[in-house]
Amino acid sequence: MSMTRTIQPDLRRRKRINWQKVAVITLFAIVPLFLLILFTYVPFAKMIQFSFYNMSYTKNKGFVGLDNYLRVFTKSEYVDAMLLSLYYMAGAVVQLALALFFASILSLERIRGGGIYKAILFFPFLVNGIAIGYIFKYFYTRGFVLDSVLQAIGIPLESLPYWLRDQSVNNWSLVFTSVWKYCGQNMVLFIGAIASIDPTLYEAATIDGANRWQQFKAIILPGIKTVFMLNLILSITGSLSAFEPAYVVGSMGANGTATFFIKIHQMAHVSQKVGQACAMAMVLMGLILIFTVLQRLFFRYVMKDSENTFNAKANKAKALW
Amino acid sequence: MKKLLALVLALCLALGVASFAAADELPTFDQIVIGENTDLAAKIHFAYHRTDRKELLDSYVAKFNEIYPNIEVEYELITDYAENALLRIGNNDWTIMGIPTVDKDELSKYFISLGKLDTLNGLYNFMSNWAYEGEAYGLPSTGNANGILYNKRIFAEAGVTELPKTPAEFMDALRAVKEKTDAIPLYTNYAAGWTMGAWDAYIGVAATGRDTYMQQELPHAKDPFAKQADEGTGPYAVYKILYDAAAEGLIEEDYATTDWEGCKPMLNNGQIATMVLGSWAFTQMRDAEGGEHPEDVGYMAFPITVDGKQYAPAGPDYCFGINVQATDDEKLASLYYLKWLTHESGFAYSEGGVPIDKNGEYPDLYAAFDGIDMVADADALEGEATLLSELNSESELNINAGGNTKVQELVEHGFNHDKDFDDIMADWNEAWSEAQATLGVEVK
Repeated sequence: MSMTRTIQPDLRRRKRINWQKVAVITLFAIVPLFLLILFTYVPFAKMIQFSFYNMSYTKNKGFVGLDNYLRVFTKSEYVDAMLLSLYYMAGAVVQLALALFFASILSLERIRGGGIYKAILFFPFLVNGIAIGYIFKYFYTRGFVLDSVLQAIGIPLESLPYWLRDQSVNNWSLVFTSVWKYCGQNMVLFIGAIASIDPTLYEAATIDGANRWQQFKAIILPGIKTVFMLNLILSITGSLSAFEPAYVVGSMGANGTATFFIKIHQMAHVSQKVGQACAMAMVLMGLILIFTVLQRLFFRYVMKDSENTFNAKANKAKALW
Repeated sequence: MKKLLALVLALCLALGVASFAAADELPTFDQIVIGENTDLAAKIHFAYHRTDRKELLDSYVAKFNEIYPNIEVEYELITDYAENALLRIGNNDWTIMGIPTVDKDELSKYFISLGKLDTLNGLYNFMSNWAYEGEAYGLPSTGNANGILYNKRIFAEAGVTELPKTPAEFMDALRAVKEKTDAIPLYTNYAAGWTMGAWDAYIGVAATGRDTYMQQELPHAKDPFAKQADEGTGPYAVYKILYDAAAEGLIEEDYATTDWEGCKPMLNNGQIATMVLGSWAFTQMRDAEGGEHPEDVGYMAFPITVDGKQYAPAGPDYCFGINVQATDDEKLASLYYLKWLTHESGFAYSEGGVPIDKNGEYPDLYAAFDGIDMVADADALEGEATLLSELNSESELNINAGGNTKVQELVEHGFNHDKDFDDIMADWNEAWSEAQATLGVEVK
């Protein structure tokens, strides 16, 4: 009897604490979970459902099975729009290379006023995308900013293209605006990653007689692998769903600049084919998933080797120290 | 019975027993006489979209109060009007509003009837725009007609003495402008998008001369974009003007970077010869900041002649409706104010609009519209009210409904010479036919 009496309060207390914990966790989790489900998962489920119907905002004209999906892949208009992503992917590669270049220089060399350079390069990322759009619209207008600068360095106006009108260059012009905006952000992420590398490794490498390029290849690149992967995935998926430059600078996707994302927008909001637009959005999501998985697989194999060499070199350097 | 009631009503009004009279039945809009019942006291809350006309509207209120000192009119001018009005349409916090996009069968839920459509149609323009089952609910503020803006001085310098009446004459005029002046013959406003979609407004009345074309014939038409027997008419002729102008370099050089605000003084100053926009744009171009020659801005009908006659599509701007939930005094006061606005304010005239009062005076800008019929599109056939919009959506051509990209493509292909005009029209015909087949529309 007495035993149970002494044990019981203990049990009860433990039980009470558990209950409190559960109550608190539930209370705190319920609001974000509710919002998450209401605004993300329910709409997502609805989107999957809509993609099998022929419907507008106000009318549902019935179940059409996979028709909407088939149309995405058979109409040349959509395939062309998807291929526009290649411009942006090429831009993403250039953008990452530039960002990595600036990040390495700003981290490795002791540059006077390095902070200012970082700020200048990062600044475009802070400007609102629509504002950037308008800036570049004037930038590319015939005889305006870009043309004036190029004329000042001796290139005659007649030999310059119309940056947004000529279909051979206009997509590159748009890609440049996106590179200009996101390069600084990538750079800052790279600088952060580089800063977390043990600085003694550089000293050891210098003693070993390694030059800057070798240091970059053997120490920095493997050291920032995770952040590099992250930046790459973000840039490539961003390329697939490019919207802002083409919408604002390219006049809502006119003149052959309509990316797949803009086509979705037009389908849903101008033609009001909601079912078709949902199917297109699903295809886009599928593409992004495929690209992400492919990249991960690719880098798992490529990076494995460099990681080994990195570890070996690091051990060697430590041993020397 | 009704006549008797009206008689009693008029008598009561004359005696100034307004509150009693209004309690029974409101007079219809045509029965309202300005100058009667001047003791009426009420407050009108007027929701409207012309944020740029506050001073003008306030001056109207002051003038109206000279006759009706006890009717207080308060304007609420809203920037994001179309959406805002839809949200508030069921409230009682407004007395008069410009009617937003509602279904016609819902009109009586929100607005009082202004009278029988048949009666009002004889007195005022565009009354059928917001009418349902014989009752009219909306009184237009002003009307717009669609033609072409042009610079008179540039036309004169180019030697275009007579306004072009056919596509061929218009193209000749554009070529003359390019040859003899420094002006851009036809400014497309390509980049703004909606300015390109504006071309759709001319394929109905202006291109065919039939008010039934847009709503009744087009949905059932076989290959509506094909070349017509009379080559200079029909949708084909309208779009061909744009394509040919682009192909011959008669448009602005860098069309991808056009600037809507910037083009206004350019037309005014003679840097641009023509622009294809509704008459609402006329006052904006004439009064443009930085424009030094307002007197040079002219307006002409679209250059298509059908059987020897030119037509201009016309339609109302926002129409006013009176809140069904307002008190009877407020409703009556609103009727007086609207009557005064229509007949005495001169709003439509000063805005360069088509008058609402059938006896009203046309502003100078329509000087060139002498002998040109202004015609509003006829309503869709019964049971087909949504057919055109369904076909628009299904075909993705979105005629008169934001289909800007298809018109932009005309400029691109014309300029780049990479697709024939007839091929583009064939594509559109195909899209239209497919949509008709999908929706099971009878093709005549």
